[in-house]
Formats: sequence, C-alpha cells, structure tokens
Amino acid sequence: MIDKKHIAIIGGGIAGQEAASVLTGLGYKVTILEKNERMGGMLNKWSKLFPDFSSSQLVLDAVKVATDKNLNVICNADIFSVQKENGRFKLSDNSSLDVYADAVIMSTGYNLFDATLKEEYGYGVFENVITSADFEKVHKSGEKLTTADGKAPRRVAFIHCVGSRDAKTGNTYCSKVCCITGVKQAIEVTQMWPECEVFNFYMDLRLYGSKYDALYLEAQKHHKIQFIRGRLSEVSERQGKELQLKAEDTLQGRPLRMKTDIVVLLIGMEACKQNEDLCRDNALELDENRFFKSKNIYNHRNSSTQSGVFLAGSCICPMSVNESLESARSAAMLVDKSLKVQER
Amino acid sequence: MRTMMQKLREDVRLKEGLNACMGCGICTAVCPAAEYFEYDPRSIVVTVQSGNEEKIRKLIESDTIWMCGQCMSCKPRCPRNNCPGLIISVLRRVSQETGAFVKSRLGRQQYLILKTIGTNILETGYCVYPASVVPETHPEQGDVWKWIYDNKEAVYERVGANLDKEGPGAMRKIGRENLDELERVFAESGGQTLFTSIVEYSRAYAKESGFVDANGQPDMEKYTDFLLNEDNDEK
Ligand code: SF4
Ligand code: SF4
Ligand code: SF4
Repeated sequence: MIDKKHIAIIGGGIAGQEAASVLTGLGYKVTILEKNERMGGMLNKWSKLFPDFSSSQLVLDAVKVATDKNLNVICNADIFSVQKENGRFKLSDNSSLDVYADAVIMSTGYNLFDATLKEEYGYGVFENVITSADFEKVHKSGEKLTTADGKAPRRVAFIHCVGSRDAKTGNTYCSKVCCITGVKQAIEVTQMWPECEVFNFYMDLRLYGSKYDALYLEAQKHHKIQFIRGRLSEVSERQGKELQLKAEDTLQGRPLRMKTDIVVLLIGMEACKQNEDLCRDNALELDENRFFKSKNIYNHRNSSTQSGVFLAGSCICPMSVNESLESARSAAMLVDKSLKVQER
Repeated sequence: MRTMMQKLREDVRLKEGLNACMGCGICTAVCPAAEYFEYDPRSIVVTVQSGNEEKIRKLIESDTIWMCGQCMSCKPRCPRNNCPGLIISVLRRVSQETGAFVKSRLGRQQYLILKTIGTNILETGYCVYPASVVPETHPEQGDVWKWIYDNKEAVYERVGANLDKEGPGAMRKIGRENLDELERVFAESGGQTLFTSIVEYSRAYAKESGFVDANGQPDMEKYTDFLLNEDNDEK
C-alpha cells in the first residue's frame, strides 16, 4: 500500500524538494529534513543562472513543494545518524528528533570550497579578493560590484579552478560548473560596468552544456572578455589596495604580471562534511572525493551502497541546477520502484 | 644503448618530481628565474613528460637547464604535486654524465663551478671559502668585499668567527678526518664520478676547441680564461 509507505528526505534544497514533489504526487508520505532554518539550500545564494540568466528564484519557486497532507517539512533538523531497525530506517538528529521511514533519499547537496585555504590568493586578507558566491550576493542585492572603497573597477579578473583540480587542496576533481559560472559572471560584470576590462584565467574551459559554448562566444564577441590560459600562482596587494596577479600565459610561454582592481575566485564544490556522520551507522560509503558513492555510476547512480537509501543531486558529484533536478526525479522513481518490489 | 628517458628514470628524483603535468603554468609564474631569463619550467616539464628523445637531448645540451636556481619555489604550488626543480636536477645530472653540458655556454661553466666550489668543499669543507673569493676574479663582490678580504683576520674575529683556526666556531678549520669523510661521501654518493666526468669532458672539449699546450695536451688554464671571457662577452 503506497499511502502507508513513508520516505524521509535529508536536505531541503532543490533536489530534495523535487524528489518530494514526485513522491507525494505518487501518493507516498514524505518528510523533508532540512538542517537550516529555511528550504532551498545553496540556490538561495545564487542570483542568476547559466546559461540564460534566468533568476534562480524561478527555480526556487517552481520546486517549492505544494502543501500536501502527505508532506511534512521539518527545518533545523541536523540529521547525523541513519540506522536500519527492523527493516525500516531510523533517522536521528542531536536533539530528540527520531523519524522512521521505509526508504531514505540523501539530498545533502554540497559545500563551497573555503577560499581562505588557498592562502596565496589572499581571500580574507585582501579586501578586493572575493569569491563567486560573494559576487552572487552583490548581484542579488541589485547593487553594482565595486572595490572595497566603493569605486568602479577598471579591471576584474576571474580565477578558474579555485579549490578544484588541485592536489594541494585535496580536491583533484573538476567542479564542472565553475567555468560556465565564470563566463556568466564575467558577462555580468561588463553589464554592470561596460568600460571595465574583464579577464578569465583558466586552465581548460570546460563548457560541457549544449548551450554553454554560445555563452563563451558571446563573452568574447560582444563583451570583449579576455581569456588567458594560465593558472594563477599568487595575488599580492599594492598601494591603494590594487591587486597584482602572477600567472603564466601558457599560450605565449611567458610569465605574466597583471594589475587588477578586483579578483573573483571561482570556488569549487565540495562534499558536505556531515556525509561522514551519515555513513557511520549503515552501509553507506563515500567515494574518493568524499561525495556519496553510487552502487555503480552508470545505471545505478541514484542507488547508494546501502539498500533502501537513494541519492539525489549534488551529494553524488558536482552538478548544475538542471542536473540536480533530473537526478532528483530519477531518485524518486527508483524509490517508487524499490518500494513496489518490496510490496510483492 | 640506454635512451635518455631511461637515464632520467634511473634517478629517484624524477619519480618524486614528475607525477603528471597539466600544463597550468603555476611553476613558471612563481619561478624567480623565469622573471630574468628566457626560461620556462613548465615547458621543461612538458618536454620530459613527452618522452621525446630528440627534444630531451636538445634540452640537456642547452643553456636552459642551468638557469634554474634550485630554489624549489615551484614545489609547494604545483596542483599536481610535481616538482620542476627536481626534474631539472635530474636533467643536469644526465647532462654532466653524458658530457652534453659542454654544448652550451652555461653548461660549460660547470667546469668553473667545479674548480671553485667543488675544490672548496673537498679541500676546506666549505662551499664558499673566503680566501678563495679573490676580488680580482670576483669584481661583482664590489669594494666592500675587497676591504673585508684584505682585512679578513680582523673582520672575522670582530664578528665572532674563528676563521681557519682550530676549535669551535663559524668558519673554523675543518679537520683532516672530517675532510676524509666528506671525500668518502662524495665517492659513495656518485659526486666524485660526476666530478671526473665534468673534468674529462671539459678537457676533451678544450682540446677540440684548440686550447692545447706545446705537447698537444689540453691547456686548462687557457680554457679557464676562455670560459671566464665567454661569460663576459655575453654580458
Ligand atoms: S569547471 Fe572549469 S573552473 Fe571549475 S574546476 Fe572544472 S575546469 Fe576548473
Ligand atoms: S605547476 Fe605543476 S602542473 Fe602546473 S605546469 Fe608546472 S609542473 Fe605542470
Ligand atoms: S627550483 Fe628552479 S624551476 Fe623551480 S622555481 Fe626555483 S628556479 Fe624556478
């Protein structure tokens, strides 16, 4: 009996909510456990989306789960244990909350790389070094990006692969979405300040989406954004808080020094720290990048290594908004399938 | 015959220094030598990674590998945990072993370095030994150095050193026993073999280039003069 089955979803970001919509639509009872005060997760921090500059609010509104007699949303629930008990799952947070469920979906999402760890880039030390997330905050506020002392920037440099593809930070994988984010934000800077020179320092431009290369073309053609193939070595501050960058223009084979007013670090996506807790009392495993490990990455991407626990969204690996939503829908379908098999 | 690549791989420092290079250029960006010379550690790493025999041979015959200051600034920054400085150490060793160093101006200076620093270490126990930094041959040291050189007994005593004397203290005389041990370290570690190799190849090159005495043997004094001036010509 479907309406007797209960599914717990850990994480109320867009993936968790999308999975909840599908499952309540199918008649299941669903509880979303969100650790923050409010739903929506990381997308709350984003202003506009690549590749078409839609407002992230559109997506947030669209995934917002309709009030449904079968849906229960619990915020401020920081689940740290998932245990199997008599064929069901018992989820606990560190207060007295216990939730019992027939199946669990992990949609814990991701963390942003802590840019202060990349000390040579000066984040947290030089005021004019900001991250892509800081940029979104400015954009969302409707203000224009300015230097710390409120001036219009004459030059802005975007730095790709900060905290990704870097053995020194322990993250050797590619975060996948920061290249296109960098192209998008570079265009947004020129929209704010048409006179501003914008440079993107990249190592490889990984623009994997079918519409992403068009944005790259637009950035070069209409916004005169300069793409320099070289990874940033270090940032230093000069008088007047101007920044100096050291990189190599690897296509020219020469060291390059550049003065710029603002540096934007395109920080990568990391697995959530609490994933480790969530693995402790069951057969869940993490992969080599500390994201949840799928049963197999081809046709069981949404199945975890613990039967009855499913994976949705960017707790599997870095994902774009679209991919997260698709992943959530397939996780929900898989839950449905597995509970129906149990029925028989 | 062993290939260049095999020779390089025999050195454990290559394994330590080269995982896999993604060509990002961070090493070049941070490299002090790249600021002053036509020098690009990234392209050296990429060349070694390619395993191309011809390109590697050209590299060890070139000035390039001698421009590195071995400061190892490139090591802590590389996102792939490579160390270009170590790769260059290995290229240098192979260049010294195979005699490829005589084909470049900076490479030929190995002979001068051996004669000064090499001799200093084995004979005095110090890389830089004050008495051997003669002002006439080291004009770059300037007038202050000339003055210190002329008054070295008093100056070193004044700063609390124990120049050339028995007992403890900075710049003290290194005893025979310790010098013998140093020599054994050089013999064991292969340093002595490299010294011999550098001297042999330099002698052969001197002869080939016409720096010979009355008996047709290499005249290393003339050759040394040539090396010193070759350097000056360039400046
Ligand atoms: S998507 Fe681009 S910026 Fe992000 S880690 Fe991959 S290559 Fe680097
Ligand atoms: S820093 Fe490392 S990966 Fe980058 S070019 Fe140099 S050796 Fe290659
Ligand atoms: S060790 Fe050599 S290559 Fe590396 S930074 Fe120093 S001078 Fe440059």
